[in-house]
Amino acid sequence: MIVAALIIWTIVAALAVMVFRKQGRPGLVAAGEMGFQQGRALAIRLPLAILAASFLMQVLPVDALVPYIGPQSGVSGILIASVMGGLLPGGPMTSFPIALVILQGGAGLPQIVALITGWSVFALHRVLAYEAPIMGWRFAALRLVASLLLPLASGLLAQGMLALLP
Amino acid sequence: MNLTKSDLVFLALAIVGGGFCWWQGGLPLVGAGFAEAGWLLMIVLPQLAAGLLMGGLISRLVGREKVAALLGAQSGMRGLILASAAGAITPGGPFTSFPIVHALWVAGADAGALIAYLTAWALIGLNRLIVWELPLMGAEFTLIRTLACLPLPIVAGLIARALVRLPIFTMRKAPAE
Repeated sequence: MIVAALIIWTIVAALAVMVFRKQGRPGLVAAGEMGFQQGRALAIRLPLAILAASFLMQVLPVDALVPYIGPQSGVSGILIASVMGGLLPGGPMTSFPIALVILQGGAGLPQIVALITGWSVFALHRVLAYEAPIMGWRFAALRLVASLLLPLASGLLAQGMLALLP
Repeated sequence: MNLTKSDLVFLALAIVGGGFCWWQGGLPLVGAGFAEAGWLLMIVLPQLAAGLLMGGLISRLVGREKVAALLGAQSGMRGLILASAAGAITPGGPFTSFPIVHALWVAGADAGALIAYLTAWALIGLNRLIVWELPLMGAEFTLIRTLACLPLPIVAGLIARALVRLPIFTMRKAPAE
């Protein structure tokens, strides 16, 4: 967490130096103003969006489905896992531990790959809290439809790779 | 401060979500939702500030013509590959990446490139891989999953470029600066 924050702010500082060298103070002021304008538009929306997503996190059940995504569950297990992944709440600090628990609880590896892909590309909670407020609903819908087949594809590719391994 | 239509949508979603919590677990669950939201906001605000600043700075550094040429609708496979590579190395959570994506959108990138970028960031982001997946899931799982996901950002970008020709997905221009 702290390492990530350090990396991010180092990049911000490096970009700021580059802008300063190219355009001086006016460039920095203009960049800050653009960021501030965008931030102001989010001031009401974001806390509400985060609150809505947090409420949904409390009521969605995911662990009841583990028996359906075992190593022998094949394509149907991959599909169920993809949907589960999309409903999985939270960021990587919660979802990877959940994925680990489910894997050790008897799920198959391709199914878990599909679950993580589903969580990565659908993440309803992230669409609601971050994507829709910043990019708009239409962009979010386009991205979701374009991503519809990705969890299935990743699960099948992982299954194919497992078959190649000794 | 004025409430926009989209603010009202999120207000309604928060009320519906809160109602669900109340219905399922009463006051304690509603409280847990509030606590989770407060915690998330604390984590997210510094990231959001960084993302907004990065978006603003990047838009000063790369001109509109350059972004449009590299990542615009005419950028072809090269644009999608470039966007995927950029997404994979973007550090930080959604609050860092979405403001950057928004800035690229304003600067002339097309929906296909933006979606390739976001998909790569979500699926094969190096930062998340090193910080979370490798330590928790182990090297073998991480390797298989990453290889299985490697081509997918470009696939999503290609599908998005095909879909965006349909009337219901026609993008309005990103709001001007």
